[in-house]
Amino acid sequence: MNIDEIFDFTSFTIDREPHIVLDDKVCAGCDVRGCTNCCPARCYTWSEAEQKMTFVYDGCLECGTCYVVCRRNAFTRWRYPRGGFGVAFRMT
Amino acid sequence: MSKEFQAIVVGAGPAGSSAALTMARAGLDVALVERGNFPGEKNMFGGLLHRMTSIEEVFPDFWERAPLERHIAKKGTTFMTDAASFHVQHETASFDRTPYNGYTVFRPKFDRWLAEEAVNAGATLINRSTVEDVVLKNGRVNGVTIVGRQGKLSAPIVVAADGVLSFTALKAGLRRPGFNPDQMAVGVKALFDMPKEVIDDRFGLVRDQGFANEYVGCTGGVRGGGFLYTNYDTVSVGIVVHISSLRASGKTPYDLLNAFLEQPQFTKLLNGGRLMEYSAHVIPEGGYAMIPELYGDGIMVAGDAAALCNATGVNLEGINLASHSGILAAKTAIEAHERNDFSRQSLKQYKDRLDLSWVMKDLKGFRNAPKMLHIDRIYNEYPELVCSMMEHIYRIDGTPKTSIPKLILREAKAKVGLKNVFSDLLTAWRAL
Repeated sequence: MNIDEIFDFTSFTIDREPHIVLDDKVCAGCDVRGCTNCCPARCYTWSEAEQKMTFVYDGCLECGTCYVVCRRNAFTRWRYPRGGFGVAFRMT
Repeated sequence: MSKEFQAIVVGAGPAGSSAALTMARAGLDVALVERGNFPGEKNMFGGLLHRMTSIEEVFPDFWERAPLERHIAKKGTTFMTDAASFHVQHETASFDRTPYNGYTVFRPKFDRWLAEEAVNAGATLINRSTVEDVVLKNGRVNGVTIVGRQGKLSAPIVVAADGVLSFTALKAGLRRPGFNPDQMAVGVKALFDMPKEVIDDRFGLVRDQGFANEYVGCTGGVRGGGFLYTNYDTVSVGIVVHISSLRASGKTPYDLLNAFLEQPQFTKLLNGGRLMEYSAHVIPEGGYAMIPELYGDGIMVAGDAAALCNATGVNLEGINLASHSGILAAKTAIEAHERNDFSRQSLKQYKDRLDLSWVMKDLKGFRNAPKMLHIDRIYNEYPELVCSMMEHIYRIDGTPKTSIPKLILREAKAKVGLKNVFSDLLTAWRAL
């Protein structure tokens, strides 16, 4: 299976406002960055060239892994999307 | 929106809906608050619903009423390496009769059904509402604020059944901020479409019989395991891995899932299947040691929010514990209303009830299981040992055979080390 395709098989209603916000200065000082390999939706990308963490919230499965794995508490906001928004499982 | 209720339940999952159903049946005016567009929309699990005796008390015809996929008649365990697998399986006629021992279900259907039963009993379901904070009155929890639909809901009792990260319990000061990644796992799952006849033939099933299989050794050395569950005309497959171990490995859960799906013996089982949905969720696997404060002034915590998950490596139970804890919280709330006392002291009865129930007895009894599951050798060396031993036993190659006890000793020495085997057996003995 081409694993890249798997991410297209989940439905979302995307909010204007992100439900998770990072302080990327904290991420720049982190030497673990477990979020980048543990997030099942690959929402976290570390750019070695720019020394910068990028986070996209629109594919977030709301699983909670980043909240658990982050060693530095880099979140200035971590909440679930407001009611009616975010991931929508149909059959899982 | 601003309204007063006699009780508020946060989260319309199995714990929350069981609580709301029980309170509504006793005549309490209860609000069931759900952040999804409907209950179950946000909920994900592997796919195996163990028998729910507490719900059977409410619905003696549970298996006729609930939207179930198949009942589990057959269970298996497979020890797996990249190239080989060894499989053991159990099947009994007694699991093929009501009351069934377990089922496969889809959460967007099952959770929705249970919440609808709570509504039928008189509960008020408030969808599309994420709880933002608890409201305090004289230092006691007395309601919640919601976003999505905006507003404030008031009640002298709040049941936090808002899942593993429970921000409601956090805001009420009942759980510590931050989790220990050693006590948490993440599950990722892919759902494959497959005609019912193909599933029946491939897995040796008839009628609504279902098959549940667990896999060890399929996670690239990361602590965890794999699963395959048959639904009516789909198959759920996935892996569950410990977050600390995953972090240390540098591997991603979807690459591990992909490697599992491509293992030569496993991939045959999915032949012709079409990918339907991908999902993921965190599971509290710390057992007894990670249970937070279960009650406070005006609040009780139930289900995953209270870490009531029993992952022993043999059975992985959660929803049955969640539902039972929700019912016990509801019974406590009903009595608290009779006494008109919603203090911490009054709600302590919830913990007393839980302690006397199978929920806490199981969690206490298996409190060493998380330690056993932290033996990294289970996920690599042991599956390799089992598979290579079987290969030696079955192989015919024109050379004299080694006696089986000698073979076992030799392989165990080479693959794991005898000292490790004995210490691991002792740990397992204590855990199980």
